[in-house]
This record gives sequence, structure tokens and C-alpha cells, in this order.
Amino acid sequence: MFTDMNPFHCGRREYLYGLGSSLGALAMTDLLAGETISPLAPKKPMHQPSAKAVIMLFMEGGPSQVDTFDPKPRLNERHKLESKRSAGLATGFRFYVGSPFKSRKVGQSGLDMSDQWIHLPEVADELCNYRGCQAESLNHPEALFHMNTGSRLGSDPALGAWANYGLGSTNQNLPGYIVMSELALPQGGSRNWSNGFLPAHFQGTRLRPEGSPILDLHPPAHKTRQHQRQALDQLSQLNELHAKKHPHHRDLAARMESYELAYRMQAEVPGVMDLKGESEATREAYGMNQKHTEKFGTQCLMARRLVEKGVRFVQIFSGGWDSHDYLERGHSSRIRSVDKPMTALIKDLKQRGMLDDTLVIWTGEFGRTPDNNRRGGVYSLGRGHNIDAMTMLLAGGGVKKGAVVGATDEIGATATEVVHPIRDLHVTILHLLGLDDNSLTYFHGGRYKQLSQFGGKVISELIA
Amino acid sequence: MRLSAAIAALIAVSIGETCASKDASHNGEALFALKVFPLLNSKCFACHGQEKEKVKAQLVLTSRKAMLAGGESKKPGFIPGSPMRSPIYLAVTRKHEPDWSAMPPKQNDRLTKDQVQSLSQWITLGAPWPDEQTRAKYTALERSKPRTADGLLIQTSGGLSEEWTYRRYQPKDLWAFQPIKKVTKPMNAENPIDAFILHKLEQSGVKPAPQAHFRTLAKRAYYNLTGLPPTPFEIYQFRLQWDKDQSTAWSNLINKLLASPHYGERWGQHWLDIVRYSDTGGYSNDYERSNAWRYRDYVIRAFNSDKPYSDFVIEQIAGDELWKMQPAKQRDPELLIASSFLRMGPWDPAMVKVPQARQIYLDDVVNAVGQTFLSTTMRCFKCHDHKFDPLPTRDYYRMYAAFAGTQLAERPAPFLKEENVSGFEKGRSMTQKMLDFATSRFEAIYNKQESAASAWFTAHGKDYMDERSRRNLPDEEKPPRHVGLSPEETGRKKVREQDKWIWNRRMERYKPMVQGVYNGPDPKSLNARSMRMPKSTPKGAPSPIHILMGGSLEAPGEKVSPGVLSGMGIPSSTDSADPYKLTKSLHGRRLGLAKWIVDPRNTITARSIINRVWQHHFGRALAGNPNNFGAKGGKPTHPALLDWLASDFMENGWQLKRLHRMIMTSSTYRQSGQHPDISMLRTMDPENKLFAYRSPRRLTAEELRDSLLKTTGELNPMAGGLPVYPEINMEVALQPRMIQFSIAPAYQPSRLPGQRNRRSIYAYRTRGQPDPFLELFNQPNPNDSCEERDSTSVSPQALTLLNSQIMTDRSIALAMRVEKEFDTLHLQVKRAVQLALGRVPSKTEWDSLKKYVLKMEIYHGKHQPVPVTYPRSIIRSLVEEFTGQPFQYKEILPVFDDYVPDRRPADVNPKTRALADLCLLLFNSNEFIYVY
Repeated sequence: MFTDMNPFHCGRREYLYGLGSSLGALAMTDLLAGETISPLAPKKPMHQPSAKAVIMLFMEGGPSQVDTFDPKPRLNERHKLESKRSAGLATGFRFYVGSPFKSRKVGQSGLDMSDQWIHLPEVADELCNYRGCQAESLNHPEALFHMNTGSRLGSDPALGAWANYGLGSTNQNLPGYIVMSELALPQGGSRNWSNGFLPAHFQGTRLRPEGSPILDLHPPAHKTRQHQRQALDQLSQLNELHAKKHPHHRDLAARMESYELAYRMQAEVPGVMDLKGESEATREAYGMNQKHTEKFGTQCLMARRLVEKGVRFVQIFSGGWDSHDYLERGHSSRIRSVDKPMTALIKDLKQRGMLDDTLVIWTGEFGRTPDNNRRGGVYSLGRGHNIDAMTMLLAGGGVKKGAVVGATDEIGATATEVVHPIRDLHVTILHLLGLDDNSLTYFHGGRYKQLSQFGGKVISELIA
Repeated sequence: MRLSAAIAALIAVSIGETCASKDASHNGEALFALKVFPLLNSKCFACHGQEKEKVKAQLVLTSRKAMLAGGESKKPGFIPGSPMRSPIYLAVTRKHEPDWSAMPPKQNDRLTKDQVQSLSQWITLGAPWPDEQTRAKYTALERSKPRTADGLLIQTSGGLSEEWTYRRYQPKDLWAFQPIKKVTKPMNAENPIDAFILHKLEQSGVKPAPQAHFRTLAKRAYYNLTGLPPTPFEIYQFRLQWDKDQSTAWSNLINKLLASPHYGERWGQHWLDIVRYSDTGGYSNDYERSNAWRYRDYVIRAFNSDKPYSDFVIEQIAGDELWKMQPAKQRDPELLIASSFLRMGPWDPAMVKVPQARQIYLDDVVNAVGQTFLSTTMRCFKCHDHKFDPLPTRDYYRMYAAFAGTQLAERPAPFLKEENVSGFEKGRSMTQKMLDFATSRFEAIYNKQESAASAWFTAHGKDYMDERSRRNLPDEEKPPRHVGLSPEETGRKKVREQDKWIWNRRMERYKPMVQGVYNGPDPKSLNARSMRMPKSTPKGAPSPIHILMGGSLEAPGEKVSPGVLSGMGIPSSTDSADPYKLTKSLHGRRLGLAKWIVDPRNTITARSIINRVWQHHFGRALAGNPNNFGAKGGKPTHPALLDWLASDFMENGWQLKRLHRMIMTSSTYRQSGQHPDISMLRTMDPENKLFAYRSPRRLTAEELRDSLLKTTGELNPMAGGLPVYPEINMEVALQPRMIQFSIAPAYQPSRLPGQRNRRSIYAYRTRGQPDPFLELFNQPNPNDSCEERDSTSVSPQALTLLNSQIMTDRSIALAMRVEKEFDTLHLQVKRAVQLALGRVPSKTEWDSLKKYVLKMEIYHGKHQPVPVTYPRSIIRSLVEEFTGQPFQYKEILPVFDDYVPDRRPADVNPKTRALADLCLLLFNSNEFIYVY
């Protein structure tokens, strides 16, 4: 074996960025943290924004418009009568399905809500119900990709990634885009919060509902935080010696900084996740004391805390809305699981003065049909996938209050007024955040790409 | 649609010399005919045209008179000679709001700078408005000139509009559509690559960086050719030779590495990135593509045997057609395996009608062929003629027609003697266990339902009919659906049924089949769960192909026949009426296309592969976007070099190993990362386009994992065969993942360390569940072709490298290895550094690291690790899709019945754990993860 080579053989040269010769890990932190070097550093919006942050409540499976916020008495009249509509792939005998729920007008604004919504009427006058959006893919994963990334291919950056790319994050110790889901990932998995072709910094970070909230956030149990600090100090010594040998190599400093941010995240994340400090009244309001609302309630409360800490984009996926059959049981149970938590979230945001600049969106990947085909040879009371009509709620962040925008036909089959494709919804969300979709571009694969793919329109009717 | 030189010449005479010789920018009439009228026509007339009901702001722009009359502003549309007082000009500048609203209103429709300039110039010249006939003359004259100040005219099969067909291109944007030039080396140099690179450096007044240190070079060569680090002994051997004769040592090393079976694994990975290799089909079901691994191994074999690239291209596009042409008894299954390339994209026809499913497939495969072999993003001209390149949408559909008869099937193909078929028995019995479990659970529930059904029939005085046969009875004549089952059991029944499909499908991976294609008409129905060859030889014509307007099946336009891209002017046929056609018969369309792609006159193919190889050697391609050579892709920094290499490559049998040798023996390749004039270069050439010095790179995800295993001595170098299951983060492995109707089965790692610790290219790739470790280090998403890996440093990487069980295991493994090899801490520390970093520690480092280990020994004496346990089954909870009711079911994990884990912290003493802490730091160090 040979033994040569002193690591200093290259001699001392300019140090990283020419910043001096004795940068310890801590000094590095300070120098880089405030610099625009960090891609997550806050950036100026392109125009006056009305929202600073977004909380998107994603109802995976596709909630039914006529059984939630867009009642259709004419449809109920046709219950179980034959339907001649052609819909997607379904073949054979089709029949109309009336809503199993009664609808009523709520709030001063008189918004329509089915009677399954017990709590939400309390905040009806904060909500804007949009009925004009149309999806494009009949299949769950593609439709999910489309609503989340503007493309059904599942390889483009998510809305939350674009928002962070455009605006950065005001908290450098937390990811700017956080996702919470059921224990099971939604169809299509993490592609739904992918950074796509944007740099990896903009990827959504999933806070895991069980186990470690972020993968490998903490060392194995037998290693303490102090042990980790010692390891990092020792590592930075190794890296400094190496950097002296490679003064030209500019990625070294950024990589060292990523270790320090990781160390800070270890302290910060558990703090945000720790709900012990929340009052009993808050826990009760969010439904954390009842089994069927505990999970979504906890996530809604977490969303509020994250936004408070400066996280730009929070998404919660809640599954089970795909009621092809047993609609009454299915939707009733799903509504019950989100009703109380989301009501509490909106009230809480309002009470803290955060609703004005936090945009809350409640949506699925598409809507549902007014009719159904026989499944397993019987009249199954459920609904298929519908890309021609859906329903969504928006609140705060500069959208209209207590308003209904757009409309569907008399049986809720197709959007008829203020009809827009998903890309226009995306452009509108960016607009509320102070971003212009046409200017928010990233050069990739030989062209400047944007969330809407080829441009879209702001849905001005939604804006207050 | 094609230009007729004769007519053009005639018109040129009739218009006369004066006009023709005058530059259009000084001739208002010509300017109007060629520039202004077309822009008014395309941008303005829709809202300011003849149709009264559509006219906006009462402004009509279709004649000079109307324009002068103006609209509701009551001001003339323009003032001749004075653009700055002309409302139409002020409006299109978009800078004079609110006086003059920005026009056209949509930002995306805005005029280009050139168009704005033309309008201004036309007004300056008095805004003449020649009649239609005169305009036509100007247009014809213009079209007779292949080259004008506006650029080049390119003959194609014709666009959807005349404007497109006769538009002009800037020569610099067309480089990839022009013939590969025979160039001579610009100066004398031992290595031809140096001749080009040094020449350009000399012209720029920059000196090249000196040669790198021998150890840096060794690491660079090992990583670039095999994706693995050299062992300390290999470095030592290299050094002995290097000290005697540098150039011989270096070329010997290159030859040795090119001969290594690991070469194909490394370069095969680059190829798999482009073609989007995965073991599953993606979308809702994410079904396994049984035996996709045979294609993965074909690619590795092709690189290792240095198969000529031209053959590699043909076999992947048309292997099955070649196979069919071979004598029946001598047919080579390798050709069928190669054609799996056509099956690499994500695809599942669930919930889609056959024509749509076919369209999704064909769009995908056409784009894949374009990006992979022709560096052309075909998607860009699917809905309209290409916005920037001479690629009419007609050509898109002609190439699409080349695949119209391409049908997907799992085809029988005997295993080759080169293929690794080990582990079949064990794998089969494990899969059978999973299948048996699913089947027994399903049957229990089914039987319960059917006994309730039977009771119902008895009670109603009818004969029992099973679930399938009673399906179409009216509701009153049969028991309710899911009779006798609780909602919980209803959910479980569906889950078990899906499991049966999944495991049945996985049994197929032990059958001699390939994910292949055959030629035939479209099948009546498609189901990704089972794609089989038709029982009898398929007959009938492929579906006719039309240009689909806007890419929509609902808007078929003109019918097209199979053909190739016309814009580069390389014929695929001797038929002068249609030189770009391919055969119309069922067989041979793809073979014709493939042969055209590797025609030595093809202007892109050789450039494309040279560019990719160059990129992987230098970290930066000669032409910036290896998947897009069009106007919007990065232009080549050294076009002459690219052409020289491309010609040389084709003249010498399309062989990549020769190219590697030429590149790696250049002094350009051997440069150091340090340059004496670095500050000047950072300003002058921030992206190092001159290749004046070496740019470092971070290890790719696979290199990182493989290097860890190599360093610890755990790597099992076995080549090929069934996909293996490395340990992944257990939380992710067991985390439920939604698929259609159910949750996908949990990820179970391979039972033995030797099975798990194979190279990463052999790991099972699921589209729906990336390996979290590899994904974190930027393993690309297999839904999209990856031309270049990202290598961003983000904090989650730090967390995983410091804290994950996988890394802890590797650090223990390295600690145990050095403990076995050396007795004293002093030598153990040295050995660990040597193995991980390929060098011995300096005195300072050595002391400091030793002190650290001693300190950690004390720490670990006080902190006892918790043993790791594995679950043998898991309870899943799911919301029943149809009812919204949650239910639970049990999933078995039989691999953990007799699992052999890696050595864990709890299995070793504090001393080893302390040493492992050091090993972990070495793995985390910048020196470990960057190649210089």
C-alpha cells in the first residue's frame, strides 16, 4: 500500500466564494441564510397579491356536486328513471339517481348545502361555491395529476411547487410546500406533489400521519441530538479540509448548508407538529375528540399552524369520495369526517385575522354523474365520474364571500355558466398569490414551461 | 404544397428587377404583402374583419380606407409616415394603455418584436396597400428564393397552412436538420477532440487546465465507465503503471474498464433513463410488466458487447419484424426482447375506450421514438404544425401511422443462455404463497356470500345460480348484491380479488415471455392485466390514420399514409412522388422507419447519440438538450466537433467503445477541475462551455447506493435476471398505497443480504412507488424521458444520509470490515478512509478522526441501541370505495418468516458502533459524493 498525499498539497487558495479562510458550520449558516442564494428565500410577488398562503383540502375520489352544494330538484323527480345520457365508458342500462339528501339555504347569503353539512353553514358567508369548473380525465390518477400539476401525465410540477418557486418561503427552517394525506397515499402517489422539472427544493414534503413525520427526520433512538451535533461538527471539519483542496467547486458550500438546515428542521418540525399547547376548546372545535373527525381535524389544525409559521402551500388529501354505489352511506360518512374540521379551520383563520390572506380551497379531481349504470346487475344507488361538472369551495385570500359562481344544467350533468377548464382555476390561484402564470415560467426541455401549459385565463368572477 | 421553381421563376420575371432586388424593408408594398398583411390576417381580422356582427369597437382593418376611417375612438387607425401617432401601432406595442388598449387582447397572442417593427416600418413608408394580385406576385417571388434576409425556406411534406409551409427559418436554428458536414480538424493534435477544443480555447485566449492528479483520473474513469469507485488496490495498481508510462497506463485502464461487465450496467442505466424503464405499467392499476427485466438486460448486453448503435436502434424499433423475417427455426428471441422498447411508456387502458387507449399509446410511442433516437420532442407538433421547427403535423401523423398496426402483447420467447434465470424456484414459491393466501381469503368470503344467496333462492322457491350466472337477472329475481356480507366483508372481497389478479400476474414473470409487440389490426378490447397474442395470425389492415386536428380523435382531418420526417430532406423511399413514405402494408413500417433513422444521411441520429455520450463524460452536452435538437433546444457549443465525431462514428461501424476511448484519451477529458485563471473564466464563460477545465459532478442515486455497497464489501456483483428487492425505508415499504379498488401489496425486501445487495439497476422499479432513497437522490420519474439528471442538494438528503437505517447498516458493515482487516484503531481509521475516499488520511485528519472514534466509544458505552424487528403480517385499513365505510384486512409478509437482516447497531459492541460513526461521516462527506 502506498502512503502519500497530504490533503494540503494543493496549497491554500481562495476559499469558497472568497469568503475567508475559516468558515465553521455556524458561520456558514448565517452567511447563506439571508442570501438570495437559497432558492426558497422569499421573493417579491409580481403584482399586489390578495393571498399569501394556500390551504387546499383535496377530496380524493370526486365529491358529488348535487349531493353537496349544487342541489337539483329536477333530478330528484327522475329518480330511477332511465337515462339516455352517454357517459364515459359505461354501457348498458343507465338510470337517474336522485340525491338521498335534502338541501337547504344557509347563511345570510343563502348558499345551498345538503343537510349532511351540520357545521359548515356557520361559515357559509365566508364561502364561494364555484360550479363552472370542468376536468378532462375520467380516471382517478390522471385527474388527480391534472388538478394538482396542470397536466395529466404525472411528471410536471405541482401547483404548490410553482407557488414556492414564484414566492419562496418565509420560514427557512420548514419546507415551503407541505402535504398531509391519509395513511394511504392518493392514487398516483407522490407525483401529485412533485417538483417535476423544477429544482428539487420545491417538491412537496409529506408529513407522515404515523411514525416519523418526515422520513429519517431523527437519528436512531440511541443517538441523541448532541451526538448528532458532534457528528455534524466532525463532518464539517472533514468537508472543510476537502474544500481547501477544491476551492473551485461551488456546490460544496450549498451541500454543507443543507446539513445545517436539516439540523434546524429536526428542531422545528416536531415543534409545529406538537399540538399539546393547543387548548381543549380548540381540540374540540376541530373535532379532534371524536373518532370520525379526529384525523382530518388534526390535519386542519396542523395546516393552520404551518401557515402561521410561514409555510406557503399546504395540502390535505382525504379519500373515499368515489361513491359509485351506496352513495347515501358513502357521502354522508365522508361529509361528516370533514364538516366540523373545515368549519373550525375557517373560523380559526378568521379569528386570527389570517383568512384575509390565506386562500382555502375544497375540491376533488372531478365531479359525479346524475345517473348510474347497474353494477353487479342491480340498481346501485351511486354515481360515476363526471368531467363536465363538479363543485368546489373557495374561502379567504381575496375571493368572493357568500357567493355562488357559475352554474350547471338542471340535472347537474354539465357546467353551463362561467365554464372554465382546470388551467384557468390554476391561473386564478396564482393570480391571487400575486403571480402571473405567463411570467412564472421555467426553461426545461427546450422551452419555457408554465403551470397552465399554454396559458389560461383568470376567472375574474371568483375574485372579490 | 411543394414549391415549384418553374412558376416562381416566371413570376420573378414578370415583377421585374427593380422590386426583386429591393430589400422588402425599403419597399412598402413588398413589406405589406409579405409581413403586414399576413399579420393582420392572423392576428386582427378575427375581431376587426368583414363579418359585421363580430366586429369589435366598430373598427374594421381589412382595407386601407377602413383602417384610416378608424373605429369608435373616431380617430384614424394610422397617420401615414408617423407610427408614433398611429393608434394601431401604439396598440400593438402594448405600452400605451389606457389610451390604446393592448392588442391583440390576449397576452399570448402578442406580436413578436419583428412584427411590431414591420408594422411601424410600413406606416413610416406611407402604408401602401397593394391589391390582392400584386400581393400574390410579391409572395410568389419571395417563395422562389430559398434564402433571404428573413432566413431559409425548408421543404417539408407541407403544413396545415400556406404561411407555415412557406415560413422561413434562421439557419442557426436548423443546425440539426442540415447534413452532417465532413469537417477537417482545425489544428494538429494527437487526439482529434483536443484539436477542436483547444482550437476554440486558443481563439478565446484561454489556456486549458492542466492534467488532473492520477488518483482523480482513476476515480473519474471508474465512475464514468462502471458507476463504481476503484478499490484502494486498483488505484495502487494504476499508480504503479502510471509512474512508468502515463499514456499506456491510462489507455490500459480504459480498456480494462470497457471490458468490465459493469460498463454495460452503467451505460445501460443512461439508456434506461431515456426510455423510461420500469417493471410496472403505471396508472391506476400499476400492473407488473412481467419480464420487463429481459429488456433491461438486453440493453446491458448491447453495451457490453458493443453492439453497433445502428443495430441497437433497428432492433428496438423493429426487432419483432426482423424476427418474423428470419427462418422459422433460427429466429432469435433477442430481437423480440429488444422490441420491448416499444412497451416502456406508462400505459393502462382502464376506463378508456379502445380508440382513446390506442391514441394514448401511439402518442406515447411516437414521442418516445422521437426523443430517444431523433432528439425531437414529437409532442410539439401533435396538435398543430411545429411552432419553431420544420416539422409539420402531417409528419407527426405519418410517423404515427408507422405504428398504427403495432399491437401490444406478452409474447412467448425462450430464455437465452446469456440470460440469468436464477432464483426462479424461490421466487415462484414465494409468489405462490401470496397467491394462495389471497385465494383462500377470497374463497372464504365468496362462499359465505353464496350460502346466503343459496338460502335466498331456496326461500324464494328458485334454483340456486352462482354470482356470475345470476348477474343479468332482474333485481327481483335474485338476492341483493353482496348478500350475507357485512360492509367490511364486501370491502375485503374486492381487495382479495384484486390481490388474486396481482399475484397471478406476478406468476407470469417466471414464464418465457417478453413485453412485446406484433403487427395486426386493433383488438376489440384491451386490458393491461393480460395482453396476449391473438390465437390465430392476425389479419386485416391497421386502422387508417388521419391528421387529428388539435390532436383530437373527434376532429379527423386529411388521411395520411405512413412516412418519416420530411424536414431534413432524407428520403425513405425511391418514389419521387413521395420520397418520405413508408410501406403501407401491415409489416415493415417500423423496419422502414428504423432504417431511415440509421441512414448515414440522417442528420440527427449520429449527432444525437454522440451528444448523449459526450454529456455523460463531461457533465454537459455539446448541444444543451439531448432530447430536443430543435430551435428551442440548446445550440451546440462545438458544432464542428459534433459533426466530426458523428461522421467518424458512422464511418467506423457505429461503435461506442471506440468513441469512449477517443474521448477519454483526449487531454480535454483528463483536465483538472482547477484552472489558474478561474476568476476570469467564471465571468467570461460561467457555464464552462469552452471545456477549459473539468466540472465536478455529484454521484447519481444508483452510483451512490452501489458505491456504499462496494465500499463495505457487501456488493453482490451478479449480473442480470429477475428484479431484486433492496431494503428500503420500512415505513415506506409498509405504507399503504392506493391502486384501483384496493391497496397495493406491501414491498417485501429480498430475504438474503446477497440477494438484496445487488447493483441498483437490478432493483424492482414500480412506477407507483419509487425507492425513497434513490428518488431522494434524483432518480428520475420513469413516466418521463430523462435527458439529464438533477443533482440538487436538499436537506432531506442530509437527513437520510445521516439517520436512515440503510445508512446505519452500511456504516456498521464498513466498521466490521475494517475491524476484520486490521487490529488497531489507528489502522482501522486509516483503512476506513482509504476504502471510502480512495486515499489515506493526512496526519491532522487521522488524529482528529481517531479522537472522534474514542469519544464516540465512550458515548456508545452509555447508550444501548434498540433491536430492529420485522412484522410478519400487517393490518390494512381502507375506506371502502363504494360505501365510504372503513374496513380492515390482514396482509401477510412471508419474507420475514425467515429473513436474514443486515448487522444492526444492537448486534455489535460500542467499539464497532463508534467506528461506524466515523464510517457514516465518511459516507456523508463531500469527498465521497463528488467525482472530480
